Amino acid sequence: MTIKPSFRSLLRRSAAAGSIALAAVLVGPASAHKDPVSPEQLKIYQEAFMEEVRKGDLLFHGDQATADAMGVGTSLSKTGMACAMCHPMASDTHPQSFPKFQAQMAKFATLRDMINWCIEKPNQGEKIDPESEAMKALEAYITWSNTGSVLQPGKF
Amino acid sequence: MSDELDRIRREMHSVLQPEGVRPDDSLKITRRTFIHGSLVFGAATVGQAFAWWPLLNTLDIAHAAEAPFKFAWISDTHLYPRSLNTRFVDKVVRAAQEVQAMDPPADFLIFGGDLAQLGKIEELELGVDLLKEIKIPKHYIPGEHDWYLDMGKKWGELFGQPNWTFDHKGVRFIGLDTVSRGPDYWTAKNMTPEERMGHMATLDGTVAGPWAGVGRDQLDWMEKTLADWDKTRPVVIFSHNPLYEYYPPWNFWVRDWREVHEVLKPFAKVTNIHGHVHQVLYNEIGTLRSIGMLATSWPWPYAPEGLPKLTKPMIRVDPGDPYDGVGWEKIDVAATDEVDVEYIMWGRKEVFVQSPEDHDKNVSEIIRPRIADNMWPY
Repeated sequence: MTIKPSFRSLLRRSAAAGSIALAAVLVGPASAHKDPVSPEQLKIYQEAFMEEVRKGDLLFHGDQATADAMGVGTSLSKTGMACAMCHPMASDTHPQSFPKFQAQMAKFATLRDMINWCIEKPNQGEKIDPESEAMKALEAYITWSNTGSVLQPGKF
Repeated sequence: MSDELDRIRREMHSVLQPEGVRPDDSLKITRRTFIHGSLVFGAATVGQAFAWWPLLNTLDIAHAAEAPFKFAWISDTHLYPRSLNTRFVDKVVRAAQEVQAMDPPADFLIFGGDLAQLGKIEELELGVDLLKEIKIPKHYIPGEHDWYLDMGKKWGELFGQPNWTFDHKGVRFIGLDTVSRGPDYWTAKNMTPEERMGHMATLDGTVAGPWAGVGRDQLDWMEKTLADWDKTRPVVIFSHNPLYEYYPPWNFWVRDWREVHEVLKPFAKVTNIHGHVHQVLYNEIGTLRSIGMLATSWPWPYAPEGLPKLTKPMIRVDPGDPYDGVGWEKIDVAATDEVDVEYIMWGRKEVFVQSPEDHDKNVSEIIRPRIADNMWPY
């Protein structure tokens, strides 16, 4: 009694899935940005990333010219301290452990929240826009420095 | 640990630590100074939780004292001008007041280097001014932050010869200069003194290279200094950098540590007390014990590799508290000839980790050296 409807239902689902797969195969390659990636493109992508890492490295190490150029020259620190003074090679920044409950803030926090907390508390500076270029560069440097670290989200 | 560091450690061990050789057997390590004196309650917990770790911090130098005495250590104050950073000033003031308030008083103070952050006259003079609070004799060794703006000119005017020796109540004390013999990385690149200092002041920088060293001339001086000293009598050596290989990329070493140990090998009771690392450290190599001191300025995380197995790590600090993970040290040479090194870590009931979560390496990390200083526009 129940076999027939189930069988029909199975057929319907299979047909639907097959149609979607066929559409993906036929339509996908015809859409934009789906050409095989070239070595030149990879180089450009990598260079764009490493430029952010480089800028983040300089900000992290207190380079005033870079901070000025990125509009955060008076924000990042007001004590002379730079991020790298407590975090050489970005050690102990633990980007792989975010997001998590951050005890110092007593709230669930992202890495960007933590960067701003460090700017505001130990460095006695002023929070920067979480979407700013400077924040993205700091995030790029910190995560790049921890390349190879295993994701442990939520880890204290 | 990398293969290279592992190889070096094995070599160090085979050369200096043949079977049965370790610091003098009479060195008794007790729980007594394992914790801050005012916080006796924590001791049982520490002992139970980490019973397999040797208890550190208490160095018994047998036959050391002709009479009991104390001395104090402050280092790594990294002072900026007062107008820029008052927190660092406040912490030096606190350390100085506490040293001066010691009862019975300390016989002398050792200042272990990095008085200034960027070697400026203003910073060094501020340090001298703040430490005037301490009336007992003071002995200074330099740190790299004191030196590389004017290559030690102002430091020399203020404190004199960077290496020195004196005997006190049966112990020979030696102060070493481990910072002034860095290879010249500035001339070829036409750096200004400020640029030279900037690279030196960056712990994870790649430009200043392996600057920490004792140097052949100073090794010869040390050998001569120890020539008339009974090899069974205690020697205490103060240096800014540790006298073994912990983590060279941050100059947590002296590059000629092998030669240093060759000079010290004949002596049965040698203790090295060093700064630079801003963290609790303990190691034994041959007959030498090394103990790392806290900064007053800020603490450093443990290096990604190379932490000596004998080190019981300090507790993970709260970056929101400028007084956490920092402080000074009290060294008490008792009538029983024991020498206790006590960490005065401000704002902490427990100096040492109490659980894996208290360790800064609780979140495992793989990190890599920076790159931007190699792209610097020189």
